[in-house]
Amino acid sequence: MFSERERERYKRQMMLFGDEGQERLKKAHIFIAGAGGLGSPVSLYLAVAGIGTLTIVDRDVVDQSNLNRQILHNDRDIGRKKTESAEEKLHAINPDIQIRAIDTTIEEKNASGLVGKADGIVDAMDNYPTRYLLNDIAIKKKIPLFHGAISGFYGQATTVIPGKTACLACIFPKAPPKEVFPVVGVTPGIIGMVQATEVLKYLLKSGELLTNRLFIWDGMQAHAEEICMERNPRCTACGSMSEIPENK
Amino acid sequence: MNVKVRFFARFRELLGTELIIEVAEQTTLPDLVKQITQKNIEGHQAIFDEYGHFREYVIVMRNARRVDLADAGENIVADGDDIAVFPPVAGG
Ligand SMILES: [Zn+2]
Repeated sequence: MFSERERERYKRQMMLFGDEGQERLKKAHIFIAGAGGLGSPVSLYLAVAGIGTLTIVDRDVVDQSNLNRQILHNDRDIGRKKTESAEEKLHAINPDIQIRAIDTTIEEKNASGLVGKADGIVDAMDNYPTRYLLNDIAIKKKIPLFHGAISGFYGQATTVIPGKTACLACIFPKAPPKEVFPVVGVTPGIIGMVQATEVLKYLLKSGELLTNRLFIWDGMQAHAEEICMERNPRCTACGSMSEIPENK
Repeated sequence: MNVKVRFFARFRELLGTELIIEVAEQTTLPDLVKQITQKNIEGHQAIFDEYGHFREYVIVMRNARRVDLADAGENIVADGDDIAVFPPVAGG
């Protein structure tokens, strides 16, 4: 059920997917790994869309050099925990949802507990080791992983439905070397919106998910491509998984 | 015969977006790409390791199909092939 305020808040999107769709969003719990460049736009838009529970995890404090892209945080937040800043902003932008902001490092020993009973994981990380860990958790819990990554004006995104579609390790069996990547805020803006759109489609059970496809964006050329991917039967992460029945 | 080679992300900055390359019969995939990188040390090092193999994280697609890097050296290109070479990006 929705309050009058919620009905008014979501009026224009309920024209698209009705009470039933909005109810699905309200019942959902999405885990967002990272409150940085990708995590900022993803969490803001999932919050305003009315996802009932958002868990957002980050271990960093806000630095001046984050502010060209991490739009959850403002100048006055410098030195504050990103999770504290995120919780405040997300609550302000939509007081009708639950925000769980957790200040910690996502590691093997805590990852499964952190994700808990979430319905999906948004990969808003900046490194492959943590991405592979999130991929493993998504496979273990049979929940989708919404991947995004950026560098400069380039970005990539894909959606993983464990056991059904190519997982992150099928697509990227080996991590690229770690680097200090250049970035301008518009790129995580675009890729974050692709990820958030995927989350909504998945929860609404509508549209064609970005599965078995790697979306590649080149902002300088204003050109998007997609590359077909498929499951690797010998994948170290998902190779042993057989087809699983739809569990949602 | 002619083959189309497309690069993405950082490889694009180093080597160009899309090239049509004239190649000899029996050219392998690595040799095709090396034909492009031979005058570009930075581009070459970005894609190949010191043994001249594709770096393990590089993704190579041939006519929209993933190429297994383990046997890329036996992969002979054909006229009209569309080859895509790209690095995953890592930032967030
Ligand atoms: Zn896999």
